[in-house]
Amino acid sequence: MGERFERVVVIGYGKAAGNILKYIEKQRTIYGYNLEFIEHEMHALGITKQICEETGISYACMPDKRELAAYLCAVTEKTLIVSASNNFLFPVQCVEKQNITIINFHNALLPEYPGRNAPSWVIYMGEQETGITWHYVTAGIDEGNIIIQKRCGIGPEDKAYELTQRLMDLACEGFEESFAAVLEERVETKSQGEISGRRMYRSYEVPGEGFFTLDQEPEAVYRLLRSVDYGKNDIFPHLQTVVDGERVEVIRYRKIVPEKKKDEANVVYLPLGEKHFLKIKYRIL
Amino acid sequence: MEEKVLEILEEYCEEALSYDGDSMMEDGIIDSFTVINIVSELEEEFDIEIDAKYVVAENFKNKEAIIALVERLLEE
Repeated sequence: MGERFERVVVIGYGKAAGNILKYIEKQRTIYGYNLEFIEHEMHALGITKQICEETGISYACMPDKRELAAYLCAVTEKTLIVSASNNFLFPVQCVEKQNITIINFHNALLPEYPGRNAPSWVIYMGEQETGITWHYVTAGIDEGNIIIQKRCGIGPEDKAYELTQRLMDLACEGFEESFAAVLEERVETKSQGEISGRRMYRSYEVPGEGFFTLDQEPEAVYRLLRSVDYGKNDIFPHLQTVVDGERVEVIRYRKIVPEKKKDEANVVYLPLGEKHFLKIKYRIL
Repeated sequence: MEEKVLEILEEYCEEALSYDGDSMMEDGIIDSFTVINIVSELEEEFDIEIDAKYVVAENFKNKEAIIALVERLLEE
C-alpha cells in the first residue's frame, strides 16, 4: 500500500449515493480522510444534501460540467473519487492524474450494457439476470477493470425504477464489501476482456425507438412499457403508438384482471396471457 | 377520497399512517421509489395525472399533504 488517501470525494445522486456517503462517513474514523460530497445533478426528492448537513460532510452543488471538471483537475492531495449514480463523464486530464483514483458504480454486469440507462435495456431485451459493477474509471466509458460485481434476477413484472432500486441496494452492498480494499489499494481486479466494438447505450437512445404498434405481441409491448418506466422522472419521452389512425402518447399503463376492465375514454386494452389485460391510457397528440 | 388515499399508503408505506412529523422523506419513512408507487396508484385510483412538478418532498411530507394534493388535483 502506498501513501493513504487524504481525501474522498463522492459524486452522485439518489439512494445509492446517499447510503454510500453515510457508509464512507462511518469509515472516516478508521482511515482519517477528509470527505466531501458534490451534487452535480439535482433531484426533487434527493436527500444527499440533508445527509451532509446532518453529518457535517462538506457539500457543494456543481451543476456546471466545466466548473466540476476544473475543480477536480485542481485537486492536489491523494484523492479517491467515488462516482455513485453519476452521469458526469470525468475528463481525461482528471482520470490520468497520478494523485486521483476514481471508482464508478455501473448498473449492469460489465462488459455487457455499458453506457446509459442499462436497467431499461436489460428489461427491454428480455434478460433474466443483471447486476452491478464497481470498476476503476479510465478514459473510456465503463471500460476500467472490475473491482466487484453482484448479480440479481429480473422479474417478469419488473419496471425500470423497481430494478433500479434493487441495483442501488446491490451497489451499496458491493461498495461496503470492497471499500477497504480500494482504500488500501489491494483490490484484485478483473479485466473486462475484449471490449472493442461492443454496443454502447447512449443517453438519447430509447428502447423500441419510443414507439410500438397495437398489433405487436402484448408481452413485448408490456416489456417496452416497463423498460422506460421511471415514474415521473423524465428519463425517456412518453412512448407513442397509433390508435384509430391517430398518433397518441402513453400516459400510464397497468396489468389488470378482466374484472377491472371498464369503458374509459382514451384507453386501449391488450390481452396479456390468458388471465390479464394490459390497460394503456393515452392522450392524443 | 381520503379513505382511498390512506388505503394506498397502507399498501406501500404503512408507517406513513402513524407518522405525525412533517418530512417523511428526510425522516426515512418513504423514499423516492415508494413515492413513484404511490403516485402511480393515486393516478389510477382517481384517474388523475400528477405532473412531475407536484412530485416534490413538500407534497409527500406526511399523509395530510398527500391528501391535500389529491384534493387539489381533483378540483382542477
